[in-house]
Amino acid sequence: MLKYTIRRLLLLIPTMFFVAVIVFFLAHAAPGSPFDAKSNGDKGLPLATIERLEKHYGVNQPVHEQFLLYLSNAARFDFGNSFRSGRLVSDIIGDEFPVSAQLGIQALLVAIALALPLGVISALKQNSMVDYGSLFFATIGTTIPSFVIAIFAIYLFGVTFHLLPFVGWSTPQHWILPTIILALGPMAFLTRITRASMLEAIRQDYVRTARAKGLREQVVIVTHVMKNAMIPVATIIGPAVAGLITGSIIIEGIFSIPGIGREFLRSILGRDYPLIMAVYLLYAFLICLANLSVDLVYGMLDPRIKVGR
Amino acid sequence: MATVTTTPSQRTASERSSELNVLVRKQRSLWADAWYRLLRNKAAVLGIIIVIVFMAVAIISPFLTQWGLIHDPLKQDTPNSLMEPIWTQSKFTNANYPLGSDQLGRDILTRLLWSTQISMLVGFVPVSIIFLMGVSIGLMAGYLGGWVDQLLMRITDVIYAFPDLLFLFIIMATLRNTAIGDIQGGLLLIFVAIAIVNWVGMARLVRGQVLSLKEREFIEAARAIGAKPKRIMIRHLFPNLLAPVIVSVAFGIPNAMLAEAVLSFYGIGIKPPTPSWGVMINEGFTVFSTTAWPVLLPAVCISIVMLAFTFLGDGLRDALDPRMKL
Repeated sequence: MLKYTIRRLLLLIPTMFFVAVIVFFLAHAAPGSPFDAKSNGDKGLPLATIERLEKHYGVNQPVHEQFLLYLSNAARFDFGNSFRSGRLVSDIIGDEFPVSAQLGIQALLVAIALALPLGVISALKQNSMVDYGSLFFATIGTTIPSFVIAIFAIYLFGVTFHLLPFVGWSTPQHWILPTIILALGPMAFLTRITRASMLEAIRQDYVRTARAKGLREQVVIVTHVMKNAMIPVATIIGPAVAGLITGSIIIEGIFSIPGIGREFLRSILGRDYPLIMAVYLLYAFLICLANLSVDLVYGMLDPRIKVGR
Repeated sequence: MATVTTTPSQRTASERSSELNVLVRKQRSLWADAWYRLLRNKAAVLGIIIVIVFMAVAIISPFLTQWGLIHDPLKQDTPNSLMEPIWTQSKFTNANYPLGSDQLGRDILTRLLWSTQISMLVGFVPVSIIFLMGVSIGLMAGYLGGWVDQLLMRITDVIYAFPDLLFLFIIMATLRNTAIGDIQGGLLLIFVAIAIVNWVGMARLVRGQVLSLKEREFIEAARAIGAKPKRIMIRHLFPNLLAPVIVSVAFGIPNAMLAEAVLSFYGIGIKPPTPSWGVMINEGFTVFSTTAWPVLLPAVCISIVMLAFTFLGDGLRDALDPRMKL
C-alpha cells in the first residue's frame, strides 16, 4: 500500500511535466506580445516600453529557452511575477486559494449532505413520488449548465426579489447562491449514483440472507445495504472534485468571487503567462491528488479490490 | 427505468434467425427492436421532436429573413434598442420586436433563431470528427495493440489531468487571434478544439469494447477462416461495438454545444456579431441591470436543447442495451 502510494506520487512528476509542456507552448503560440494593445485592455503602450517589458520578463527569448528557465525556477518553487500586477504569483495564489477552497468544500459538503439521503430514500421507495421527484431533479441538475442556472438564480433571487446579494464574497449571505449553484451539478450526479448503487445492493443475496435470519429492516438497510452501496459512491468524489474545479471557474466569474477561478479567466484573457502556468499546474495537481485518494480509499473500503499490484 | 424486457417480436426474430442461421436478418431486427423501444419512451420521443424542430429552424432561418418574415440578425435599430418582449406590456415594447431587442436594437427573436445554426453545427460537426478519430484509433489500439495502444494510453494519462473545459480555454484563448481563428467567426477553431479535447474519451471507450469483444468466439471464428485484421475490425468488431458508441455520441452533442456556449459567454468562442446563444448572453450581461430578457431568453433556449438531447441520450441508452451502464 505504501509502495503503491509512493509510486503514484512519483507518477505525478511526469504528468505535471507534460501539463507544463502543453500549457506553456500553447500559451506562447499566440501571435503578438502579451504587452501589446490587444492583450492589454486596449491601452497601447509605446514600442520602447513594450520592448523593455519583454526584456524584463524574458519574453523576447526563444520559447524553449524560456521554458527551461521556467522549469528550473519552478523546481525551486519560484513561479515568477504576474505580468499584470507585478506581484509574486505565489502570493496571488496564496491570497485567492482559500476563497476557492472554501467555495469548493462548502459546495461538496452541501452536495453530499443532500444527495446521499435523497438517493437512499428514492432507492428505498422506488417508483414513488419521492423517487420520481429526485430523478427529475437529478436530470435537471446534470443537464442544465451551471452558468444558465446561475443566470436564472441571479434574476430570481437577486434582481426580482432582492433576497440575496450576488456580487462578491464579503459576507456569509454572499456565500449562499454560489455555493448552492456550484453544488447542484455534483449533487444531482451523486443522487443518481447513490440511487443506482443502493438498488443494486438491495438485490444481493446477502441482503436476502440478512432478512431471512430475522434482522430488523433498519439494521439490514444500514449495515448491509448502505455499507456496500457507499463503495461506488466514494469513487465518484474524484470526478466530482474535477467538476467542482471547472464549475468554480464559471461560478466565480459570474459572481465576481475573488478566487482562483476568476484569476484563471483574467490571466488567460490577458496572457499573463506566469499566472496561467501556476493555475494550470495547481488544478492538474489537485485533480491527480483527488484521483489518487479515491483509488486509495477504494482499496480500503472494498477488500476485494487489490491496489498496488 | 432500466428493466430487461423481452418483447414478442424480439423472441420470434431471434428464434427465426437461429433456425435459418442468417446473421444479417438477426442483426437488423436488433436495431429495429431498439428503434421500437426508443419510440415507446415518451421522454425520448419528446427529445427527438425538439431536436428535429431546432434543426428545421437552423435550416430555414436564413430563408425566413430572405422572405422578410423575420429581421436581419445584424440589422441595428438604435432608437428601438432594449425593447422588452410584448407580453410584458411595459411601455418599452414594440410590435416589430415580439421578443424585444438588444442594446443595439437588433431583434432578439431573429438572433435566437439564427443561433440555432451555430449550435447545431457545433453539436454535430465535432462529434463526427470525434466519431471517426475515436473509432479508428480505438479499433487499432484495441485489436492490434503495439505502439498505437501505448501512445493512446500515455495521451490519456495527460488528458485526464486536464478537465475538458481548461483545455478548451487555453486552445481558444491563444489560437483565436490567428488565421485559423478567424475562419467563419471562429467556428472552425471551435470544431477543431472540441474534437482534440474529446476524441481520447471515444478512443478509450472503443478500445475497451474491442478488448472484451476480441476474446469472443465469433472473432476467433473469423480469424480461423482467415479473415484479415482490417476485415475483422470493420465487418466484425465495428458493428458490435456500435451501441455504446452511439450513446456516447448522443451525449457528446449537447456537451459540444455547451462548450461553445460557455466559451462564447466568456468572449473566447464565436466572434460577435455572429449570433450564438453564448454570445447573446455575454452581450446581454452588460445591460442586465436594465433588462434581463436579452440574457434570459437565450438561457431558456440552451436549457431546452440540453434537456432534449439528454432525454434522447437516456432513451437511446435504455433502448440499445437496457443493462448498459455509461
